[in-house]
Amino acid sequence: MSVYTHEVEVLDPIGLHARPASQITKLVKETELNVEIGRAGEEFVKAKSALMLMSLKIKTGEKLTLTVETDDEAKAADIASQIQEFLKG
Amino acid sequence: MSLAAGAVLSGLGVGLNSAVGEVFFVKPQEPLPEWTKSSKSAADETAELKTAIANVAANLVALGERAGGTSAEIFEALTFLLEDEELFELAETHIEAGWSAAAAYGKAVDTFAELLGGDADFDERVKDLQDLSKRVQADIAGIEMALALPEIGRLVLVGEDFSPADTAQFTKAVVGVITLKGGPTSHTAIICRSRSIPAVVSCGSAASLNNGDTVLVDPVGDRVLFGGDESLATKAITYIAIHEEPLIPVRANIGTLADAENATAKTQAVGVGLFRTELLYLNSKVVPTVEEQAAEYSSILAAAPQGPIVVRTIDAGSDKPVPFLHMPHEENPALGVRGFRLIQDHRDFIENQLKSLEIARVKTGREVWVMAPMIATVEEAKQFSDLARSLGGYKVGIMVETPSIAALIDQLAGIVDFVSVGTNDLSQYLFAADRMNANLGSLSNHWQPALIRTLARIADGAAKGGFSVGVCGESASDPAFAVVLAGLGIDSVSVSVSQVGAVRTSLSALDLAKAKEVANKVLVATSPEAAKAAALDALAQL
Repeated sequence: MSVYTHEVEVLDPIGLHARPASQITKLVKETELNVEIGRAGEEFVKAKSALMLMSLKIKTGEKLTLTVETDDEAKAADIASQIQEFLKG
Repeated sequence: MSLAAGAVLSGLGVGLNSAVGEVFFVKPQEPLPEWTKSSKSAADETAELKTAIANVAANLVALGERAGGTSAEIFEALTFLLEDEELFELAETHIEAGWSAAAAYGKAVDTFAELLGGDADFDERVKDLQDLSKRVQADIAGIEMALALPEIGRLVLVGEDFSPADTAQFTKAVVGVITLKGGPTSHTAIICRSRSIPAVVSCGSAASLNNGDTVLVDPVGDRVLFGGDESLATKAITYIAIHEEPLIPVRANIGTLADAENATAKTQAVGVGLFRTELLYLNSKVVPTVEEQAAEYSSILAAAPQGPIVVRTIDAGSDKPVPFLHMPHEENPALGVRGFRLIQDHRDFIENQLKSLEIARVKTGREVWVMAPMIATVEEAKQFSDLARSLGGYKVGIMVETPSIAALIDQLAGIVDFVSVGTNDLSQYLFAADRMNANLGSLSNHWQPALIRTLARIADGAAKGGFSVGVCGESASDPAFAVVLAGLGIDSVSVSVSQVGAVRTSLSALDLAKAKEVANKVLVATSPEAAKAAALDALAQL
């Protein structure tokens, strides 16, 4: 299994709050893949937990790195672009 | 204890209509059991926790379906938090360490509440999470948490205070609401106002009522009458205008172009007494350019009702953050770097705002006054005044919200052209009482004698200093209080667009000598109830 890394930016004016966090969690659970999110250089959290995502306290304008464990590169890119959509607010 | 017919229970009224109904007590929650270690197996406790979470989730889905619309989305989001996988895994580790299911879930939620704590954006979510934790623990202990309200009848609900989950369950049988705690800005008050349910909040003595008692909820009278009927409801005073124009100008509060247009189309407001500019920035992700700001200000100034337009420079803080100013988290945002204090780190932004306003002023030819919020010292007032006068040809003033500047009003002579009192924040700082705290609602009542005395001193200071003084807080929207303000020597009031008509009428119903008489009666009152009663008595005799 490979790990694909993508970068996303939080554009939502309230940051990574409850709604985008639960949208991400819902998506990740559906894909049944291991997806992790965090600030570059800091500890990452599992994206299947909305509470863990919220506990990062990410504010608007921050860039995040996400990793997707899969052998399907296109799928990883698709997940990243959907997550970016959720973060547009 | 039983009450005599006609017994009066005082509180703070919400709404203008009254209602008669039967008391229906919403019992204070039975206390949840203490957290204990379990004698059962970890597998049994885990199964018990799963069942409880499923029960609570099913209940949330049902509540969401009943509420519909956006509320349904809120309940779906709550279900997500409730069923969070990491939360469950953390609870499982507590179960494996020997704790009961209820204790394990409670402890896991506490851990996440701590992780999310200290961030204003998540305060409400932390409350939601703790509410979910209580629901799960109650389900395990077999304690009823739903309100279980009848669908028919005429009920007056009585409770400590009601949460959003409670108010979502109000049925059409709820004709009135009484809370023992909570103030005029509590969630209960806001919901009752928007749904036109007569309510009396902060009514501690309602604890002596019993289920089935007939009561009159009389918000205009700030009271509940035991055994009363509609004929005893306090009538809102009807003012009869005897002058064409009010005693003092009534201006409108606006925040957007739509507000400005509404104020012009629907009211006889004389200009704008408070233009809240932060609304233009709260949704911007990047700093707008001077040209963009000037264009936006020009369209709003052009649309505003005839008369001066008082513009407040940005009033943001870490609880009301502007995305592009990157405001750091603060322990006490109300006491932090907000309003004019932002000049420490954001001088360019405030200068650009003033420059944009000057361009818009020249372009529209309107009379513009600018004022800075959150001024605490004479030096700060001087700093703002010098800055504004160097950048434009407007009148310059400050907001009076801090008790410190309220004590020095006469020393602003030669520095400002006017001051404007924000009574909401002045109350909060004067009484050291958070505006949003349910337990302190009665302290934000604008009839509090200490607030009225302070307003009288501010008016005297402005008269001595030779500049004008307006009031733009919520208090001015109360027609009776507006008369008191005029009597105290306030030169203008600014109110929400919906209240301009009512306040103009009350201020056109008497002359200045009468208004002074009313104010003098109010000034000697020793309680908010007595102050309001003194004003209403005097006004009823007009």
